Amino acid sequence: MRSGSAFMAGLGSAAIIAIGWQAGVGTLTSALPQSGASASGTSNAAGSSSGTSSSSSSSASTDTSSQAATTAPAASGAADGTYDGSVVNTRFGTVQVQAVISGGKITDVIAVKLTDADRKSVAISQQVAPMVRSEVLTAQSAKVANISGGTYTTQAYLQSLQSALDAAGFTG
Amino acid sequence: MTSTAPYRTPQPARRGSATSERATAIKRGYKARLRRGDLLETIVYFSVAIVLALFLADGGATYFINIKDVATGVGIVTGLVGSDLLLIMLILAARIPAIDRTFGHDKALALHRKLGKPVLYLILAHMLLLMIGYGIAQGLNPVAEAVDMIVNQQDMSIAFIAMGLLILVVVTSLVIVRRKLSYEFWYIVHLLSYGAILLALPHQFTQGMMFAEGTWARWYWMALYVGALASITICRVIVPIASSLRHDLRVSEVVIEAPGVVSVTMRGRELDALRAQGGQFFQWRFWAPGFFWQSHPYSLSAHPDGRSLRITVRDLGKGSARLLKIKPGTRVSFEGPYGLFTQEARTTNKAVFVGAGIGITPIRALLEASDLAPHEATVILRGSDNTDVYLWQETYDLCVEKSASLRVLVGHRPRGVNTWLSAEAYGKGESLLTLAPKIKESDLYICGPTPWTELVIRDAQRLGLKDHQIHAERFDF
Repeated sequence: MRSGSAFMAGLGSAAIIAIGWQAGVGTLTSALPQSGASASGTSNAAGSSSGTSSSSSSSASTDTSSQAATTAPAASGAADGTYDGSVVNTRFGTVQVQAVISGGKITDVIAVKLTDADRKSVAISQQVAPMVRSEVLTAQSAKVANISGGTYTTQAYLQSLQSALDAAGFTG
Repeated sequence: MTSTAPYRTPQPARRGSATSERATAIKRGYKARLRRGDLLETIVYFSVAIVLALFLADGGATYFINIKDVATGVGIVTGLVGSDLLLIMLILAARIPAIDRTFGHDKALALHRKLGKPVLYLILAHMLLLMIGYGIAQGLNPVAEAVDMIVNQQDMSIAFIAMGLLILVVVTSLVIVRRKLSYEFWYIVHLLSYGAILLALPHQFTQGMMFAEGTWARWYWMALYVGALASITICRVIVPIASSLRHDLRVSEVVIEAPGVVSVTMRGRELDALRAQGGQFFQWRFWAPGFFWQSHPYSLSAHPDGRSLRITVRDLGKGSARLLKIKPGTRVSFEGPYGLFTQEARTTNKAVFVGAGIGITPIRALLEASDLAPHEATVILRGSDNTDVYLWQETYDLCVEKSASLRVLVGHRPRGVNTWLSAEAYGKGESLLTLAPKIKESDLYICGPTPWTELVIRDAQRLGLKDHQIHAERFDF
């Protein structure tokens, strides 16, 4: 390669990387203050929704009563109420969900805590959680397809949900 | 010496054109080739820069804020760059005409081989660093993390299989190059690399967050894979099959040139369209019993005349020996033409051709194809005895026709001296410069056994010839 061309290739490569850096620098600055916040938001008791990982469904998590079987069991074998799922560790943060059972059906899944190890994980959580939730509500089961690009979040979400359903005695 | 010329159509030399005009044309062609080469190399650098940019744009820099994430960050980068270079290796081996005409088949493959080990190391680092990095995040040791990935994570089990295949391919390739295992074995092992690439593909989209659905990066990455795999499928499978069917090549004549050396002439339709040149080679497959399952690279031994192609082959491997038994009418399929050991590679208006043994045959075809003014070319032939100077009569006639000087060095090399010359010539004090006085301002074409070729190149470099003036054809895959 001639030196002139090598110089241009180097310059162009540097420019491409600089553009990439510029596009990504926003994530870097927002990741810095956030690292403290995400540490505090680990597995809490039901009802205290984690600020950094709130998904669209977690707004409903204020009116829950913890693991209370208040009404008679319905056809599914589960009593109405809100059940805590187990806390699942993933490499992108911990995940915990609650299952809301009403009339023997899964009426809502509330995300208590979703993957939030970094800004990217938060973004994926926000994208994936509503999709999994609607799949679960449609299927009335924790056995739904993985959502690619959010494998860890999906699988941990479903694992936590399954434990909540088991606690409820929900058999579908 | 038995030397028959079943057909020969001399390339009409453009004697009318002025020397300076031709020199300008050669220089212009050379400059254009340099520009193409620089452009292609720039694309390689850019492709690496683009994956790094995609990583940064995706917030990749955040991995380097906390020490516990650094292994993950570096692991992702090595995976990205390793995959990018793996695709470049694939493209280099695809025998894409633009690359072949710019760098030559042998140089592209040399770079392909050179990249093999670094790519393996990058991808190994990717695996190990992510086992460590994700292990830290999940509170597992690296081995337990690997087990967790294989058991629990989508597409990770096949990604580990792909890693195993990649190690197998690179390690056996290195062993094969060193021990010279058979071409067929090497070929089968190389097919596994496609398996490795395909098995490693799903985890990049399902595990890698960079290429999540709905991102630009996903489309770019997909396009890269589709492009690389398509180029190799088109150039190495579809085009050769289509070309073989179209030209319907069949053996027309098999002639014994010397003990153990045969010329095979093949005729076919519309051979002009191949645009093959003297000095190029094809990958040949003869559809005869016990033959069709292997293909061999042989250079043309005559410049194509549009109606037929000729190769001259010495009894090198098992396949070559049986060529004698091939009957006229046998169907021949081929891949090619390949190689930049041609007139197109010229950088000056003078040329020196040096050939040894069976390496004389592409030299003869190249000489026939070359546009040379009188007294601008020197041909140096080397054989261990008289019967070893193949196609002697034809080459002699061509030299007369083109007014090229011809030097023949016969006899064994001197003992204890590392030289490419015969003992006789060495004793007389001959050298590249005495044999070809104009060599410093000439293009030097060399074809012969690799160690011998290296010695000629060494002498040429000592005389001050630049790399772009030296064109060597090596008989290896």
